[in-house]
Amino acid sequence: MSNNIILSVKDLEVKFKVRDRVLTAIRNISLDFEEGKTVAIVGESGSGKSVFTKTFTGMLEVNGTVSNGSIMFEGQDLAKIKKDKDWEQIRGKKIATVFQDPMTSLDPVRTIGYQISEVIIKHQGKSKAEAKKLAIELMEKVGIYNAADRYDEYPFQYSGGMRQRIVIAIALACRPRILICDEPTTALDVTIQAQIINLIKSLSKEYGFTTIYITHDLGVVANVADMVAVMYAGQIIEYGTVEEVFYDPRHPYTWGLLASLPQLGTKGEDLFSIHGTPPSLFEKIQGDAFALRSGYAMQIDFEEEPPIFYISDTHFAKTWLLDPRAPHVEPPKSIQNLHERLLATTDKGGYHG
Amino acid sequence: MKKYIIGRVIKSIISVFIVISIVIVMLFTLIPKTNIFKNDTSIQKMKGDARTTYMYSKWDELGYLDYVSFNEMCTNEADDYSACVALKADEVEKVIARYEANNYKIETLSSGQVFAYHEFNIFELLGHFYGKVLQIDHPNKIKDESNPDLERKYYVGNDYNGLPAIMCSGCEYKYQVYFDGSFPFIHQNVITLDFGTSYPTKTGIETLTVINGGQGNQKSVEQTFPTGSTQKSPLIQHSCRYKASSTLDKMDKNKFTDNYALCDSSYDSPSMITTSYIFGISSLVIAYLISIPAGIYMARKKGKIADKIGIAYINFLSAVPSLAFIFIVKQIGQGFGFPDKFPQYGFGDIRSYILPILILALLNTSGLMMWTRRYMIDQSNADYVKFAKAKGLSESEIFNRHILKNAIIPIVNGIPGAIILCISGSVITESVFAIPGMGKMLPDSINLLNNNMVITLTFIYTTLSVFSVLAGDLLMTLVDPRIKLTEKGD
Repeated sequence: MSNNIILSVKDLEVKFKVRDRVLTAIRNISLDFEEGKTVAIVGESGSGKSVFTKTFTGMLEVNGTVSNGSIMFEGQDLAKIKKDKDWEQIRGKKIATVFQDPMTSLDPVRTIGYQISEVIIKHQGKSKAEAKKLAIELMEKVGIYNAADRYDEYPFQYSGGMRQRIVIAIALACRPRILICDEPTTALDVTIQAQIINLIKSLSKEYGFTTIYITHDLGVVANVADMVAVMYAGQIIEYGTVEEVFYDPRHPYTWGLLASLPQLGTKGEDLFSIHGTPPSLFEKIQGDAFALRSGYAMQIDFEEEPPIFYISDTHFAKTWLLDPRAPHVEPPKSIQNLHERLLATTDKGGYHG
Repeated sequence: MKKYIIGRVIKSIISVFIVISIVIVMLFTLIPKTNIFKNDTSIQKMKGDARTTYMYSKWDELGYLDYVSFNEMCTNEADDYSACVALKADEVEKVIARYEANNYKIETLSSGQVFAYHEFNIFELLGHFYGKVLQIDHPNKIKDESNPDLERKYYVGNDYNGLPAIMCSGCEYKYQVYFDGSFPFIHQNVITLDFGTSYPTKTGIETLTVINGGQGNQKSVEQTFPTGSTQKSPLIQHSCRYKASSTLDKMDKNKFTDNYALCDSSYDSPSMITTSYIFGISSLVIAYLISIPAGIYMARKKGKIADKIGIAYINFLSAVPSLAFIFIVKQIGQGFGFPDKFPQYGFGDIRSYILPILILALLNTSGLMMWTRRYMIDQSNADYVKFAKAKGLSESEIFNRHILKNAIIPIVNGIPGAIILCISGSVITESVFAIPGMGKMLPDSINLLNNNMVITLTFIYTTLSVFSVLAGDLLMTLVDPRIKLTEKGD
């Protein structure tokens, strides 16, 4: 296991100005991304997953700013970059992004070939003919048959899965060091989802880039990730290897998330769900942001924000339950022996990936 | 694609037919036919029988009814013409009975003379119109009793400019197909449209000539006639038509060796349609040249000061009534020495054109700018722009390579329509500057009940509108690869 840190986030805070009110979307995140690893960021909608990764490429909406912290990448603090011109050296070239909806990610009136070679010409300074050659190679790599013939076709002549392959090809055109996949399979049907995930997985092995996955889908996480970061209300509340987070989760929110896996539901019983809604990020959050929804909340949870407790070198969680003074709490029954039970459902073909 | 276009053309022709038919039926049946004389100056002086006869013969001429004078009744139906003309009672009664049997009505003038007329129903009206609207020339077209030896043939020869032409003897037109220096360089007289003559203004002149013929004073040029005589003359030899031998005069014989001596003249000022077109096209080009870059710039600087100035300009132009705007610009322009009326300096002077063209262009800019800006902004919020940004493209690269190409599609769609419909002219601007263009033709001819002119203009406008939509769609297929023109959705 190499311990080269490729991207290091320290005390990151992101604020948005929404109609004269200030919303704190990211609240003091510190996280190191190791080179060549696949990191999955999970959490419910609005937890700040996308915003977090958008800060790496300067793609925040105009009303959002990095108000504190640093993002160190290749000796440069990305949080300090202000000009679009400087970002152009990072975006696409060093850190690429694949978005959710392949149907709309491509320009409908430009050929597929144009859209791939455009990046190659821009970032690698190749000639048109060279770029075309490289683009066709890339298309073949992501699994497009007759790539040379399909080079001059338009996006509407491609299916959804094919388009996502092209989007991946474009993202990888400049051999980026980090690939951010922002829910890359949400808009695709289940069989195509698996193909795309496996494609990204095998390409990351071949090219050796670091993958950051943003997803709701814990099935995807189990399948592809090395590391998992669980986000809640603008913070990473638990982080660890996939085994640690899945089989030894420590945060009550992680328990809730895992317990809500549809694969774990028993026929005839209601599926587990976490009650309530996340706190408003417009106001300052007192104590643990999850306290109100948690069945394990203690007095301290409403008063003071929990610190980071390390369970192992790679595993940490932000919950007072890990404090030595806290009473011993067992995770809910439904997520115990998760490993065996997940394996069982996978064997039955119930795996969603 | 080909099949689709043919289908569209056929549908377009059918819709033109329907519109024309509706207009004809409305004009001829819904407006009382006595109204057409309201603006006829010659009828004011007439009284009694003369007036009645004049009215009926006009109606006959304009296609309302079939009018048969007593003399013609006798010629056509009487067994004994002289008995009929001599008013022999039984002969006259026989003729009247024959006409009545054919659905004719008989009227008696105050002099006691009778005449017959038959009012056309809707189907006869349409039948007569469509029967004559398309004139196809052929060597047997001319029936001239005074010239029984007329040759009937096509032949190839050189015209008076020495260029080859297909000519005809026995046809209506001498030059069937010929070349000259004006667009589209090859011309034909084989198929011509006949919409009847204008009335009550420009009485007796064909409506198409009124619209398309030159204006101003006749312009003579040095030219050689078939007899070999070279002289200054305004006649356009390519337009020469057959003139019956009995009507040929000495001057005709001096110029022409054959009967084709009925020629149009050339004038020093362009026709109404050309005038409107000059103004329309120039202002349109200027409007597009201003609005599209301005709209694009506003979209790129959305919310910034440049955008706000642009929006203020658009709001100002949309809010100020166009008539007020025209007068404001006219007043300002007069201060710079530009004429307030077109005829002051006329066609030959550039100063006559500047103010009207500027006004027409500026009036067009607000809408075009607004739509261009709007299309651009719509596109800049699209997902592919976000992805293009993530690819590391700069803002100007995204704009020029991606957004522009998407946003231009709906704009391109409107261009053929805008160009073609320049022909219709602008009512207000042309009136304010007294420009002799097409703008006022339609409202004027409706007011004056100039039926044939209304039909002609309706035909022109409808045809152009329908086909400009088709042209817009065809043009759109060039810029948008997603659009294929096919009959079904495949």
